[in-house]
Amino acid sequence: MSTPATHFNEREFVICQISRLVEDRYVYWVGGGGEPLSSVLLAKRTTAPNLQYLTEDGVVGPEALVPFDPLMTMISSRANYRALQWGTMNYAADLAHLGYVDYGILATLQVDRYGNINSTVVGKYAGGEGRRFGGPGGADSIAALAWRTILVTDQQKRKFVERVDFISSPGFLDGPGARERHGLPPNTGPWRVYTPWAMYGYGDDCQMMLQAIAPFVTVEQVLEELSFRPALAAKIEVLEVPTEEELLVLRSQIDVGGQVTDRGRWIELKDGQYQLVQA
Amino acid sequence: MRILEEGKSDYFKVAPDSYREFVRDHKPHRMVSKLITHKEAVERFVHDGDYLAYDCNYFQRGPSSLIREIIRQRKQKLWICGKFTYVACALLVEGGCADRIDIGFIGFGPWIARAVREKKCTIYEYSNAIVTLRLKAGAMGLPFLPARSFGGTDGFARSGCKIVEDPYTKKPVLLAPALNPDVAIIHVHQADEYGNARVFGTGIAHQECALASRRVILSAEEIVETDELRRDPARTSIPHFAVDAVVHAPFGAYPGTVQGYYASDPAGVVEAMGAMFSGDFREYLKKHVHSVASHEEYLEKVVGAKKLIEIRRRETIREGYGA
Repeated sequence: MSTPATHFNEREFVICQISRLVEDRYVYWVGGGGEPLSSVLLAKRTTAPNLQYLTEDGVVGPEALVPFDPLMTMISSRANYRALQWGTMNYAADLAHLGYVDYGILATLQVDRYGNINSTVVGKYAGGEGRRFGGPGGADSIAALAWRTILVTDQQKRKFVERVDFISSPGFLDGPGARERHGLPPNTGPWRVYTPWAMYGYGDDCQMMLQAIAPFVTVEQVLEELSFRPALAAKIEVLEVPTEEELLVLRSQIDVGGQVTDRGRWIELKDGQYQLVQA
Repeated sequence: MRILEEGKSDYFKVAPDSYREFVRDHKPHRMVSKLITHKEAVERFVHDGDYLAYDCNYFQRGPSSLIREIIRQRKQKLWICGKFTYVACALLVEGGCADRIDIGFIGFGPWIARAVREKKCTIYEYSNAIVTLRLKAGAMGLPFLPARSFGGTDGFARSGCKIVEDPYTKKPVLLAPALNPDVAIIHVHQADEYGNARVFGTGIAHQECALASRRVILSAEEIVETDELRRDPARTSIPHFAVDAVVHAPFGAYPGTVQGYYASDPAGVVEAMGAMFSGDFREYLKKHVHSVASHEEYLEKVVGAKKLIEIRRRETIREGYGA
């Protein structure tokens, strides 16, 4: 039973998209919190009850008890409840080096045509002039070592740029072969980028390609919110909206306090059309 | 080995031979009691200008009480290891203690750009797992370890890492310089008076930190008998000979959590994060550090028994933590 929802917000939309990609047969390394972790927790409670994920603190396959206290997405008893194994950060990196991590799921501040990720500085690096952020954290290991990386960010011009201000974590760097030249394992790299409005993949040239859009926006609206023009797939698909069942789990079990989902615009079904609610 | 690319930043000295000699000459090979106060431990083992590593962070099983004591004693010019961090780096920089940071991940805010602009602080770029790999190399007595990440990033150019041609596969591989901190502070669930210690649950790099560092201060929630550790040796995470001081610190990770023992205090977490995002730590440091003389006085006067009972009650999960 699945009933398409009639009211949801942008954040819920993107979490449900990623959740639907997640399968029991793969191992995921999930960035600490936010949309990536919510997506995996949603999948575990809906379509993929036996999926396994790691976080940076070396936990393997926990059955997390949600909700968490603020920021307590790692090294806490609820996040790491009933895991298969407890490790440390070097152990998580070892597993990823070995090739056990099929997919990495990450949120990012800024992304470019080649899927390079910036979580360090927006603006000029030198002299402390730009706006400083936290640094790569665990994302560098995920982006370098997972077989495929799924990114999530907002559909905003300032977040989709021709070249990121600082490569914190590697995408395809500057094109085919670049990852290998810099010592990263072959056949790895960005696979999908999700925003609340669209989904992108990558062509053989390692450049971003628009593959699907949300039913409440047009291709033109999406393209206006990128600083560069991505390749367009031969057929642009339309993403399916969240179901009532997914939203029930997300709202009542995973993000009860709205720490992750309580931002972004609302969407409603009106006159047979999904529309962004005007603020 | 052919060097293909080099990071251009300064990095903490790599000297495995001198570290071996230090271990031989200065580490406490004999089992001796090391139980002392926060004040004495920081006075004796944290020196101005040291490279300081803390494990975990101010909110997650970190040595929060020792971080407050370091600030209280106004230690200076520390080079700190900013991996997996929300507020610890901000507290140490704003508290006047640190002027260099190796960054894996730090909680940001106006403080960091201001510190860099005013040249109060120098930053070296790494990632969390590259920092823990450096500690692993340090804990193995090696000069470096290879990794297949971090190459190609802009952080690499601002680090002490190199990319070389691997002599075996002939492919490019990254080398990360070993890190042997002058001093490490680590919070553990249980320790005996000699420094044999147990950490339960996941961690960042407590064992690597302890073995890689010249001087090691443990703060422990519980001081246990050595016989208790001997009952289940596989659970000993840190051996006594790596440890210089053991500090009994119940609720030592406050406002953070210690898995299985107590939950975090969300209000305390929000207060520290709020100071960081506002860029003004003066009130926070006054209230939480300088208004009291010790951790015991802090728990009694600033935090209070009611809060401590509440965070212990809110930690309902015991499976896997302790006996």
